[in-house]
Amino acid sequence: MNAIEVNNLRRVFTTNIGRFKRETKEVVAVDDVSFSVADGELFGLLGPNGAGKTTTVKMLTTLLIPSSGSAHIAGNDVVDEADQIRPRIGFIFGGERGLYWRLSAIDNLRYFASLYHVEPEVSAKRIPYLLEMVGLADRGKEKVEGYSRGMKQRLHIARSLIHDPDILFLDEPTIGLDPVGARGLRQVVRNLQDEKKTILLTTHYMFEADMLCQRIAVIDKGNIVAMDTPEELKKLVLDLSVIEVEMFGVSDDLISTLRSQNYVDNVSVENREQRQVLMVQTERGSEAIPDLMTLFEGIRVGKVTSREPTLEDAYVRLVGGEA
Amino acid sequence: MNLSKLPAHWRTIRISFEMQLRQNFSDPFIIFAIIVQPMIIATLALWMLQDQVDQFAIFVIVGSGMTGLWSSLLFISGNAITGERWVGTLEGLVASPTPMPVIVLGKNLANVFQSLSSMLASYALVALLFGLSIEIQQPLLFAVSILFAMLAFVTFGLIMASLFIINPAVQNWQNGLEFPVYILGGFLFPIALLPGWTTPFSYLLAPYWAARALQAASVGAGTFEEMALNWGMMLFFSIIYIITSRSLFLFVLRKARVDATLGMQ
Amino acid sequence: MLKTARMNLRLFYDGAMLSYMALFRWLQPMTYLASMVFAPLTYMLFFVFLGRFATGEDNASFYVIGNSIQMAASSGIYGVTMSITGDRWDGTLPYLFGAPANRLVIFVGRAFMHVINGYISVLLGFFWGITLLGLDLSQTNIGAMALTILVTSISTAGLGLLLGCLSLMTRNVMFVNNTVFFMLLLFSGANIDITTFPAWMQSISYALPLTRAIVAARQIVAGADLSQVANLLGTELLYGAIYIVLGYSLFTWFEKQAKQRGTLEAV
Repeated sequence: MNAIEVNNLRRVFTTNIGRFKRETKEVVAVDDVSFSVADGELFGLLGPNGAGKTTTVKMLTTLLIPSSGSAHIAGNDVVDEADQIRPRIGFIFGGERGLYWRLSAIDNLRYFASLYHVEPEVSAKRIPYLLEMVGLADRGKEKVEGYSRGMKQRLHIARSLIHDPDILFLDEPTIGLDPVGARGLRQVVRNLQDEKKTILLTTHYMFEADMLCQRIAVIDKGNIVAMDTPEELKKLVLDLSVIEVEMFGVSDDLISTLRSQNYVDNVSVENREQRQVLMVQTERGSEAIPDLMTLFEGIRVGKVTSREPTLEDAYVRLVGGEA
Repeated sequence: MNLSKLPAHWRTIRISFEMQLRQNFSDPFIIFAIIVQPMIIATLALWMLQDQVDQFAIFVIVGSGMTGLWSSLLFISGNAITGERWVGTLEGLVASPTPMPVIVLGKNLANVFQSLSSMLASYALVALLFGLSIEIQQPLLFAVSILFAMLAFVTFGLIMASLFIINPAVQNWQNGLEFPVYILGGFLFPIALLPGWTTPFSYLLAPYWAARALQAASVGAGTFEEMALNWGMMLFFSIIYIITSRSLFLFVLRKARVDATLGMQ
Repeated sequence: MLKTARMNLRLFYDGAMLSYMALFRWLQPMTYLASMVFAPLTYMLFFVFLGRFATGEDNASFYVIGNSIQMAASSGIYGVTMSITGDRWDGTLPYLFGAPANRLVIFVGRAFMHVINGYISVLLGFFWGITLLGLDLSQTNIGAMALTILVTSISTAGLGLLLGCLSLMTRNVMFVNNTVFFMLLLFSGANIDITTFPAWMQSISYALPLTRAIVAARQIVAGADLSQVANLLGTELLYGAIYIVLGYSLFTWFEKQAKQRGTLEAV
């Protein structure tokens, strides 16, 4: 049984426009989303703003009821069996809101601990541990209203872990954090994964998804446009692997020879000042350089560089925009 | 309801109570509604009644305390759920394994407890300003009546919290609902002054029975029949509120999940 | 010169429209009905009944008149204050202060709609008084009463302006507003004959708006004509003007402070 199972999930919002002549407008936030996440997997949901990531997570955390389709968390239906799901999941949506700003961090954690039925003896130990983990140990007694944005984000993380859930939903967890804080948070996520927790992460930081996730679904306009491991996704844009060779004089013969090679997709030449740059698009990436060099024997060659495709290239290709 | 969860729920009620009290103490709006307003009403009423002040002092104190109780119910307990939404914590609460009524109960308890302190404040004010010494004739009956009143108000608060979130328009009527209950509840003048057709409406209000019990006990008119009636009615209403609130909450929260109104509106 | 006048008129008009829309942004028909019609009625009913209880049936009109005039307080205080502090919450104060517009005109323009709203509230009060509570206006000089209502709407708006500016400096707007509103209930004489107050309390009463207007209104209902209440009304209007001037000076002082200390967006 998968930790998270999503089948044809769909969510439509109706909004009313106008004060006198009320018109209703329908916005499809999530169109048709299906995926599954195995136990202990770190799954990423990648997409631009408004793609439907947060809406999907809200449906999975039982806060929103789908318009159609179904989702199961540890075998329990998110609509009808929410009570069985809630004790086992933790989530953060982050941001400025969602915490009691008139109370201290410790009080906030105590409150949520009791809501999640954590025994007092357990929470007495766990609260200092969590505060230490997110770097708020020395500010635990201060009221949240005095916290910076980054501190609030970290407190959100601690809050989501207060009941030691098996399954975590992290919606853009590093947003608003400075690089040091963000790095610390990613380490926390890795540690959680080591503890065999299932994690669904949404983000629009490519390198973060690449670094952390075992599998990624790219979502755009409410639909999943690609779903695979980061490596496989990058292969979607392997054609962007370009080897640039500086040369002095490129003959047409050379170009046709290159084009005839079976590992070469395309060849083009760019004139830069006194030199010409030969651009060879090949799936093999920098592996092809030795073979190319044999073809260049006898020709003067300057700098040779190769550009590997990144997840960002894949993402941009998938959700539109220029490759 | 899962009985094995009772100890956990009881813990939650206690913590919810504590957290609400803490938040209330730093909220000037609440301080006003619970303490300042009832004191001003008490002063006003006492001044208006000045020829008969000795006779009516305790009546006014109890009555103005009731106005504080009702205001706290209306403005604070009523906003128990909508308030969480404004702050952004509602989603966190709904997604927790604890049922919402348990959380709201703890908050209501804090509000009622706090506004009873306003009755004490009025007592002190009157003693100071008017130099009167006031006595409660039947203190034991008074104390028991307070307990019943707390029960009735706390459970009524459950209903109010869910009504307020069902329809945002209900919020508009908040201000308009404050004084009618003072009138129909007979807090500061007997309902005998009102036209006869309003009496059934008074009888339908738990606050009316609370005021009646407390006023009877304070002036020594607490006969067995009178108190049994008052306490019985408060108990009756409390039970109805508890039963109704369960379905109401389920309905309300489900609706919020469908309409996507758990977050900001 | 003419150009400045036209510009100022435009400013006044815009300010008025702005506060009108601000009033009705949250005031859909239902809300208006609830807060401007129903709620004041409940206050009036409460105090009139309390008054009857305290001093007998015959004195009902004392309370009815007092509480009707009192209704101007709602618009004046809540309405005007909110339209000034609304700027702070919306974050538009910096833009307001950065503009070269004439402050006084903006200031007064904001209050304009609320004066009208206050006027209507008082009329409503009298309406309820006549239909539900047996108010007898047969001896009343309508012109004098109309003027009294206008004067009181202006003076309460003036207080509202002062309070609004005070509120710009605190976080607890509603606390200030509510306290003042209820203090007015106590000191305005709507429900108490202020001649029974000790001297120090009477001086507070006379420093506040509404007090003289209520006295005038009661005299008018008893049959007085304009000349007999002119003094009271004149003083009431004077106090209104004093509040406006105080409020305006506070406003400009606030602006200077905020610009010096950089606290314009401070909440």
